[in-house]
Amino acid sequence: MAKDLSRVRNIGISAHIDSGKTTLTERILFYTDRIHAIHEVRGKDGVGAKMDSMELEKERGITIQSAATYASWKDVDINIIDTPGHVDFTIEVERALRVLDGAILVLCSVGGVQSQSITVSRQMARYKVPRIAFVNKCDRTGANPARVTQQLRDKLSLNAHLMQLPIGLEGEFEGIVDLITMKAIYFDGENGETMREEAIPAEMAAEAEGMREAMLEEISMFSDELMETLLEGGEIDPRLIHDAVRSGTLSLEFTPVFIGSAYKNKGIQPLLDAVSSYLPCPTDVVNHALDLADEEKEFAVSNDPDDKLIMLAFKLEDGRYGQLTYVRTYQGILKKGETVYNSRTGKKVKIGRLVRMHADEMEEIDSCGPGDIVALFGVDCASGDTFTAEGLSASMSSMHIPEPVISLAVIPVDNKAQTNMSKALNRFTKEDPTFRTYVDHETGETIISGMGELHLDVYIERMKREYKAEVQAGAPQVAYRETITMQAAFDYTHKKQTGGSGQYGRVAGYLEPLEEGEYEFVDQIVGGVIPREYIPSCDKGFKKSLAKGSLCGAAITGVRAVIDDGNSHSVDSSDVAFQLAAQGAFREAYSKAKPVIMEPIMKVAVEGPSEFQGAVMGSLNQRRGMIIGTVEEGNYTVVEAEVPLSEMFGYSTTLRSLTQGKAEFTMEFATFKQVPKSVSEELIKEYQEEKKNK
Amino acid sequence: MGKEDLITSNPLRVLGLDNKAEEGRQSLGLVMARAGLGKTAILVQIALDSMLRGNRVLHVAIGETIEKTRDRYEDILTKMVEDLNEETESDLSRRRMIMTFKENVFSRAMLEERLKDLIQQDVFKPDCLIIDGYDFDGNGRQAMEDLKQLMAELGISVIWFSAVSHREDPRTSADGVPAPCHTIDDLFEVVLVINPQDSVMKLDILRCAYCEVEPGTTLLLDPSTMLIQKS
Repeated sequence: MAKDLSRVRNIGISAHIDSGKTTLTERILFYTDRIHAIHEVRGKDGVGAKMDSMELEKERGITIQSAATYASWKDVDINIIDTPGHVDFTIEVERALRVLDGAILVLCSVGGVQSQSITVSRQMARYKVPRIAFVNKCDRTGANPARVTQQLRDKLSLNAHLMQLPIGLEGEFEGIVDLITMKAIYFDGENGETMREEAIPAEMAAEAEGMREAMLEEISMFSDELMETLLEGGEIDPRLIHDAVRSGTLSLEFTPVFIGSAYKNKGIQPLLDAVSSYLPCPTDVVNHALDLADEEKEFAVSNDPDDKLIMLAFKLEDGRYGQLTYVRTYQGILKKGETVYNSRTGKKVKIGRLVRMHADEMEEIDSCGPGDIVALFGVDCASGDTFTAEGLSASMSSMHIPEPVISLAVIPVDNKAQTNMSKALNRFTKEDPTFRTYVDHETGETIISGMGELHLDVYIERMKREYKAEVQAGAPQVAYRETITMQAAFDYTHKKQTGGSGQYGRVAGYLEPLEEGEYEFVDQIVGGVIPREYIPSCDKGFKKSLAKGSLCGAAITGVRAVIDDGNSHSVDSSDVAFQLAAQGAFREAYSKAKPVIMEPIMKVAVEGPSEFQGAVMGSLNQRRGMIIGTVEEGNYTVVEAEVPLSEMFGYSTTLRSLTQGKAEFTMEFATFKQVPKSVSEELIKEYQEEKKNK
Repeated sequence: MGKEDLITSNPLRVLGLDNKAEEGRQSLGLVMARAGLGKTAILVQIALDSMLRGNRVLHVAIGETIEKTRDRYEDILTKMVEDLNEETESDLSRRRMIMTFKENVFSRAMLEERLKDLIQQDVFKPDCLIIDGYDFDGNGRQAMEDLKQLMAELGISVIWFSAVSHREDPRTSADGVPAPCHTIDDLFEVVLVINPQDSVMKLDILRCAYCEVEPGTTLLLDPSTMLIQKS
């Protein structure tokens, strides 16, 4: 039977670290009867919250990988992705946003809109994800949901409005006033499971009335009917209000704000109602796929179960049951036992088992349809792959994947660790496109690279715990790059005659800077001066040369290699000879093409009391930072700057001591820029010495 | 177009402010228009011109975000010159800093504190200040004179302001400077007013202490890009 898609919600929960997302998810699972007991993130019972299924997450109390889970609230099916809050793991947040239709933006009622909320909000805007906000931790000292709502307006430019008022705050937080029904709601029972409706406390009546009026005025912009009713002064049907809020939310022009305390079991059920009422169902959102048979032309997926299947693998996990692939279905139906096609590899894949995930437990299902988020068993694929039915050649649009900016060497302590480490690395690179690994051929060391120190730390820990791969990690290194700045010609002959058949190959052409992309090979050979079968050999030779630049040993990017002439020998030419010729040609041209070293530049935001602003700016300035600007908010200032990553090691300690621990910072990759001359000279010298010592 | 061409061909040259700054004179400039006519676009062109001439510009945006302000610069720069080399672009962004204030937070005292912080920490010493969104209705002559004094103290050679005029307020100064700046227009060396007429956007030069042209001269604005053109 076809599922009623209007009763499906695919939502993400994202926010700044420590805003209580995992606790909130735990409560949602409890109220939707998916779990029958509540375990705190850092609870004394040692069980840990349900969504933090990885051991490490339980230990650190932070959510590293998003776990997908399914819940049912009233008659609505909700698929939830719990997403990490730390900026190092934003690929997880981005992937989640890619497959979700709506999101809950969780904010701490004390901390308000913090730097990571801004990053997450920017990501949500990129993927046009409608959102509702939840101001959590209203029981904390200093809680102020009104201030947080104002920050949503000021800092995130969201048209945010409180839909509820708190009854008491901090230690006296008792319940909420619903501004639509104009009732007070209290949460009784051991776990707040029983909602009790009462009249609004007399002392709050006037305030509630005023807030309701302001809210209605705001949302009437999204409903002519509501505006008319308001002008006429008649009784307002709650349905009209719900429709207007939904319409404003879906068009991203309005953000309803809900309040509560997940930890104290208050405000969760109304939030679930809001998810059902205001966040979009799969058919409310238009998702696009690329038609691979028609020059990657974009087309809208249909959400129709009768159409051919299109689904996206957005996450891989290697769990105790083998490889799990999380997929979102966009159209068509997938039944257990069916065969689908991986549109990247063109390979057929048989779907043996299909499950619905609930953190680390699962439920076998027979089929899934449009809008579903489920997991597949034993499917060999990479994250971001698209699966389709036979005869359909489509791919979901590519995901935005940032380049890694930091790397370090990992050295296994023994042979067993070596084997296990290989297994682990193979898995991690499939799971996470921002995590890369390669072997440095000169040192023989395995290098891992990623989006930040914590990102790599987590993988090293996972190697140890999940794969029993005991490794030693080297000091983190900045992932420099080399690139060329001008065109340079080459004409190189590789010739070797050592008895028997020799090696011969001549390639001529030029290297030039490539504005977008890492490498491009252009074959302009005419008249067969280089035989067709050796053209790929030239390409291969150039590609090999890109692995290590001659300036500081960093990978070379942004190069177009054009070959337009050459020679071959009927006996001595071979694949190897042309590869070596291309490598020689590259060496010859590279130094003439004015190579430069590029370094990753991070966008850094430091938030703190204004009294420290000068010191903060000074500290960024000393680190070769370029101050972009400051945001003055009375006694609070945010300094935004672009700073080379190499200068940011140990900044958290510096910042703490400069500001008595009152300021915090976040950073994310911004761009690669050429290093200044002095730094470049230093890097070249270091590399030369390193080479000498080998 | 090269950097030198951008400087010499800029219609803003007629205002003659740059020579005065080189002589060490300090001046105030004002761009006025009704709401939504493009004052910021003019200020950004003035700032870019100053940056191209090698000055450092602090853009104070009241009630605006860093991101939007930055976008304005990028937008105008792309319209001014399609293919700017990376070096010049990077040099330009090093010559600019944006400071945003919420409307109710901005005060001269706070600006002074922040500016001194910047200069003392050797982070940024501006030659030119752009103050976009200053509340002329709520601040009078004294506040403006205080700012002039601050300029002298900190060695800032020029401050440009934007001010909103209102269609329903007919008051003007003798030079034709509209309210709310009509009573303090003598404090400004240059006053420009955006004046939309039918399909043409004009930039009237109402006051101009060192102009190479007569006050009352008009520059034209390209209505689609808001770039200043020679009339």
